[in-house]
Amino acid sequence: MSLAPVVRDDFSAPFFEASAEGRLLLRFSPSSGAWSEPSAMVCSVSQAADLEWREASGRGHLVSWTIKPGRPRDDQPAQDTVIGIVETDEGPWLTLLLPDADVAALAVGAAVEVRFVRPEGSEHLPVGRLGG
Amino acid sequence: MTAAIAGLGMTEMGKIYGRTATQFAVEAISRAAEDAGLTLADIDGLYVNPGVKNDTDLRLQSTLQMRDTRLLATIQGFGSSAGQMVQYAAMAIDAGMAEVVACVYADAPLKEGKRAGAAYPGQARAMEGVGSLPFAAGLKAAPERYAVAARRHMERYGTTSEQLGAVAVAARQWAAMNPAAQMREPMTLEDHQSSRMIADPLRLLDCCLVSNGAVAVIVTSAERAATLRQPPVHVWGWGQGHPGYVNRRDSEFGLVTGAARSGADALKMAGVGVDEIDVRELYDCFTYTTLITLEDYGFCAKGEGGDFVASGAIAPGGSHPTNTGGGELSSFYMWGMTPLSEAVIQARGQGGERQVPQHDLVMVSGNGGVLDFHSTLVLSPHPKTR
Repeated sequence: MSLAPVVRDDFSAPFFEASAEGRLLLRFSPSSGAWSEPSAMVCSVSQAADLEWREASGRGHLVSWTIKPGRPRDDQPAQDTVIGIVETDEGPWLTLLLPDADVAALAVGAAVEVRFVRPEGSEHLPVGRLGG
Repeated sequence: MTAAIAGLGMTEMGKIYGRTATQFAVEAISRAAEDAGLTLADIDGLYVNPGVKNDTDLRLQSTLQMRDTRLLATIQGFGSSAGQMVQYAAMAIDAGMAEVVACVYADAPLKEGKRAGAAYPGQARAMEGVGSLPFAAGLKAAPERYAVAARRHMERYGTTSEQLGAVAVAARQWAAMNPAAQMREPMTLEDHQSSRMIADPLRLLDCCLVSNGAVAVIVTSAERAATLRQPPVHVWGWGQGHPGYVNRRDSEFGLVTGAARSGADALKMAGVGVDEIDVRELYDCFTYTTLITLEDYGFCAKGEGGDFVASGAIAPGGSHPTNTGGGELSSFYMWGMTPLSEAVIQARGQGGERQVPQHDLVMVSGNGGVLDFHSTLVLSPHPKTR
């Protein structure tokens, strides 16, 4: 697994506070009723500026993916990295590392559950688990 | 609309070390002016497009000792910049702002002794905040970001790696006839299939080259161009399409690009149908980009790009000659100047061994970001009649 560390800024503080508790927050517009990705500044449907953090289900399905071949290091065998585009049940897409994913199970529509891990020197970051 | 491309200047390209982007740019502009039969003093407009290293800009004017310039800007539309510069030059000339506009792309990302991949380490984004999450997950450099787009197309339409390979093989067949191409040795589909995986489904031979160098064109009025040294290449139509992909349920990312809007607008302005296009010069940062641009321009139906390229249509001798210089995959990587320069060569009829006999209408694409930004030109050796 090769998640790079991420630190919080003022905007993302609520997101990472929730991540530490195992909860996924997305952006939500009360005026449009639509959800947007975590980095959204305005609503992805109406462009309204009234976005607020709201807890999401943490469930979704796979839209696409790539597999980056690993390189063997010392006596460690190469481990491929699987990265997925996951459509949450609420609609927004997340780019998630899929640690230990069974490559044979990668398929459009495959169920994914969001989990959280904490790389060294990082906030808790979302990852995806196939079949969740 | 009265603009024409009157000059083309190309430096040596590829693993050319020890020179800055600005030095390459000066040479390319000087060559373009000379090609047109003009001098640097004739140029009264300048658009500068720096590449990924972003180390040249509109201060190139003073480097060139240009005075009383009437039009000057750095243009940054990433891979769509070349087409954009020609469009803005054409409009400025039509508006009377300038008479002779030089448009240049220059970059020098390769360093001696370092791998090409090191030239593009990915987005140097600070790992702070939720905007960093895709990068932290590993979606960093262009290959993996295009890989998820290509995978989506494959899953939706059944596009295969072998079909992507057909794009690479066709580009190499064209490159073999281009003395300026970096990669001219024969390539087979087996070579493509056995090349190492970079980011599944994209293999090494699905990826473009990385090159140092510069390319410039001179844009002027059709009337002025007719008096100059080279046969004019008339700008018949243009368009841009920037889809603004939103990361949510209804996104067409990977399935439809800005080429759909941009191409339709350009053909409409030119007053021609897609079936009338003789030559295609398409931005091919990856094999998949060629394939989806062919679909979005309408050379084949959506989802049938794989069968289309595998039929041999785009290769030498095929029904739809495409990327006749070898493209970014096999010739050289100068962003949108790769397809634009070959379009000028083909429109003039100066393609030598690789010249397409019928070259009355040439369609040129530029693509930037991860299919985020698109520009199109329709060019012709004939004055616009429609």
